[in-house]
Amino acid sequence: MNRPLNRRLDNPRLWLLLGSLATFSLSLFLIPAFVIRPFRHQSERALDLAIAVKRIAPPLTLAALVGVLALSVRLWRRSSSVPRTGIVIALVLSVASAVMVRQNYFEWMFHPIRAAGFISAGDAHLGDKEMVMAVRIGREARAYPIVQMAYHHILNDTVGEVPIAVTY
Amino acid sequence: MWKRTARGRELHFYLAGINNQNFLMRDRETGSWWQQVTGRAISGELAGSALELIPNDELTFALWKPESSKEHGHGWVLAPVAGHEKDYDEEWEKEVAKYPVPLTFPGQGLQDRDVILGVTFGGQARAFPLAKVRGQTPVEDKIAGVPVALVTGPDGESVRVFRSQWNGMDIDLYRDAQNEGQSSGQSPEWRLLDSQGNTWNFAGCATSGPAAGQCLEKINFLKDYWFDWKNYNPRTTVYRH
Repeated sequence: MNRPLNRRLDNPRLWLLLGSLATFSLSLFLIPAFVIRPFRHQSERALDLAIAVKRIAPPLTLAALVGVLALSVRLWRRSSSVPRTGIVIALVLSVASAVMVRQNYFEWMFHPIRAAGFISAGDAHLGDKEMVMAVRIGREARAYPIVQMAYHHILNDTVGEVPIAVTY
Repeated sequence: MWKRTARGRELHFYLAGINNQNFLMRDRETGSWWQQVTGRAISGELAGSALELIPNDELTFALWKPESSKEHGHGWVLAPVAGHEKDYDEEWEKEVAKYPVPLTFPGQGLQDRDVILGVTFGGQARAFPLAKVRGQTPVEDKIAGVPVALVTGPDGESVRVFRSQWNGMDIDLYRDAQNEGQSSGQSPEWRLLDSQGNTWNFAGCATSGPAAGQCLEKINFLKDYWFDWKNYNPRTTVYRH
């Protein structure tokens, strides 16, 4: 007679733990994503929090995922189909969070320049009125069309042996 | 534009976030977070470090091309990145102008998204509304006691800022309107005159007069939206004349 009672006492705690771990994992992705969203104001404190969460998120989401996996295995056999849906949801959220905290979605929106190519000024097909960011270091002169930089935003370049970051 | 070294290390930056519509970047070497507009690391191993500014110009291609070839054979232009030609939006400035502003700073006579030219000199910051610089070029002012001239070039677009001092003396620069008016058919030579009998080109170098062959010191500035400039330079003054 003791066994079913124990199980009923035992399981809610495990289910609560499963749900908490999945929620915790998701929040590690969502908190910084919510704070660092475009067009909105970021306060200094919120930004500090977002960066701090981003720093600890990769190992923590992995640890949470391990926990969710272990709990899922344990709970799966004793569950009917409805609770099993809950297990699947917890697993999907934990995996998705662990993946997303390792992604830089800002580079999905604005693709970085992996390898910059250059055209000599005489061969460039630019309109006279097109604005460029121009730099001269030593004997080297380079121009970066602003319409391109306004999309890529950052270019790691080397001009006259000086490593520079062109940013716009 | 920044020199991408800090504490003796070469860094490679990538786009990592946004802070009040100003980009955050991280370096691959340490993962530190940097504010793009200030060149300062705000978090991580390199927090507190500042990148060294690389002086640069924003010019029209037509102005840059002959300048780049004069002394250097020829300059190089960043090629469009294959596959992204369609992402380059000629109208991007108009698009950005429609974005909401994340911060607002009323009270100094400027709208949040007014474009200003920001100059910092001797610890003082001043914002020059672009519309004014375009209208009354050259704009002459003093920042921290140093005379500066903001000059719109012959293309009516490009702007440069010079320290208007030569030979230890403050000089007054003005447009040579007479010369620009007298040409018949041929495009007039664009030049500035000063009180010492020199003529100056848009590169800031004297083409005739006692200073011939010498150049004025160029001062770096930032073309920015008022709200962004004010956010990072809270004590900025605004040029009004």
